[in-house]
Amino acid sequence: MSAETLSQARPAPPPQPPAVRVRDAVVSYDRRPVVRGVSLDIGAGEVVAVLGPNGSGKSTLLRAILGLVPLTAGTVDLHGTPLRRFTEWARIGYVPQRLSAGGGVPATVREVVASGQVARRRRLSLPTTEDRAAVTEALETVGLLHRSRDSVHELSGGQQQRVLIARALAGRPDTFLMDEPLAGVDAASQQTLADTIAALSGRGATVVLVLHELGPLEPLIGRAVVLSEGTVGHDGAPPRPFGDCARDGHEHIHPHADAAGGASALPTIEVPRRD
Amino acid sequence: MIELLSFPFMQRALLAAVFVGLVAPVIGTFMVQRKLALLGDGIGHVALTGVALGFLTSTSPIIAALIVAALGAVVLELVRERTRTSGDVALALLFYGGLAGGVLLIGLAPGASNATLTSFLFGSVSTVTEQDVYVMGGLAVLVLGVIGYFGRELFVLCQDEEVARTHGLPVRLLSLIIAVTAALTVVISMRVVGVLLVSALMVVPVAAAQQLTRSFRVTIALAMGIGVAAALGGLSTAAYADVSPGAAIVLLAIAVFIAAVLLGRALRLRRGAPRIEHDGPAPGTIPHTETGSVST
Ligand SMILES: Nc1ncnc2c1ncn2[C@@H]1O[C@H](COP(=O)(O)OP(=O)(O)OP(=O)(O)O)[C@@H](O)[C@H]1O
Ligand SMILES: [Mg+2]
Repeated sequence: MSAETLSQARPAPPPQPPAVRVRDAVVSYDRRPVVRGVSLDIGAGEVVAVLGPNGSGKSTLLRAILGLVPLTAGTVDLHGTPLRRFTEWARIGYVPQRLSAGGGVPATVREVVASGQVARRRRLSLPTTEDRAAVTEALETVGLLHRSRDSVHELSGGQQQRVLIARALAGRPDTFLMDEPLAGVDAASQQTLADTIAALSGRGATVVLVLHELGPLEPLIGRAVVLSEGTVGHDGAPPRPFGDCARDGHEHIHPHADAAGGASALPTIEVPRRD
Repeated sequence: MIELLSFPFMQRALLAAVFVGLVAPVIGTFMVQRKLALLGDGIGHVALTGVALGFLTSTSPIIAALIVAALGAVVLELVRERTRTSGDVALALLFYGGLAGGVLLIGLAPGASNATLTSFLFGSVSTVTEQDVYVMGGLAVLVLGVIGYFGRELFVLCQDEEVARTHGLPVRLLSLIIAVTAALTVVISMRVVGVLLVSALMVVPVAAAQQLTRSFRVTIALAMGIGVAAALGGLSTAAYADVSPGAAIVLLAIAVFIAAVLLGRALRLRRGAPRIEHDGPAPGTIPHTETGSVST
């Protein structure tokens, strides 16, 4: 099954508009600007870290890119389309900062992960073999296959974080926006997820990650955007305390360089339009 | 039971009870997860104005209640969406306006009185007519069909509205669907348990079911089972003991809830001390690898 999935991987895509284009974005909560004039292009296939201290507006910027908070000023384009007219949501995989508890009705890990495919599935259709396989692979990737039938509310914080990542993977999007996906995730799982992201990136996926520490992702991150009080303080190679690429004996893997790592447990990226 | 079944009014009452027991917990599950557990209560108050309007205009109280409740639900949802802080006041105005409007209008209606209204406040399942049964059955099929059709999207919406937006789901339409199907359910349930107890049948079976389940689907199925059992059990009890059917149904559902809490606790104790979190399968156990049996 994984061999078949691999063979479906596409060759390098033709030139594309940037996955995310932000121009002079201002976001305010109660008239207080929290993001203050951010401009940013994230090319298709780039892996970008968004860094910055608590309260610097990282989550808010991510939420504005997704249209979850209104812009006070400025524009956001996704894959060359203004946010308002964007319809290819099956291409987008959002990993929120935490699992929302809601009203507390139980849901199994598998139910939640499978719900990540909602944008690519027709109403009333039963899941196809590939749909099921993608869910199983996503669960395998985050190491939670053995917890499939447990309620998400019975999991630890780090495990819930991995459920959220698996939910995004299950939808097989090509553009990931992840808000602190590694928070509370143990070292072994962080490494697995780094391999996953490397493989996704190798297939041309765009990955935007809000992070506090690069950790095992360090070799993947060629570009870091550092927010400071709602403005872009730095945009370029990861700043020294984060990623010292020049360090001796340190292998720098460029995002596009290697598609092999961790690929076996990965869903294919393939995005049909939702009708 | 058998001899009771030979009375046509009892057959109609039992059918009505089955519809309510099936439908109320389904929409209730989504409402509980969306933290709208008491929405049904508010819609019920509004529906009362519709009932009175039906009497006043000498049309069907059920149809009038249907229209007014659905409109009220749409207004409630739009108010909820607009106002995050002052929403409470707006909702209170609508609730009490609905109740007061019902009482006022019924006084103007010829041949109807507050006693008429009481039968809608607390239900009067023994006076359900054949036409009522058809309307209720049609509505029940409609609600179940709509929820089945949009179920996967409603699940995502109720889990996390923001995630639903990032999937491009029609969040407002889905929210309105929940509100309007809740209104239809209130109208279906009105004759059986009455508007004051409608919410109980939407919420209590779900609360009971979730003591025992881990899956959303199983919770819905079990809540439907509990709903039907409580509705039929309560109705039969009421027929023998000559008490209010609505009250008997709700109290039975609450009894099931208490039993479920105790049973759930006992089951968790038997499964052993609180589960120790570990990241791989425990040594010597076979991990669950069965796929595809539960999915959304
Ligand atoms: N819903 C909200 N209403 C009002 N203010 C908010 C809201 N969400 C965030 N803020 C404010 O906006 C600012 C930026 O918040 P944001 O969540 O974007 O920060 P962050 O960089 O993601 O921080 P962290 O590292 O803690 O996640 C903070 O000062 C916060 O108080
Ligand atoms: Mg944040």
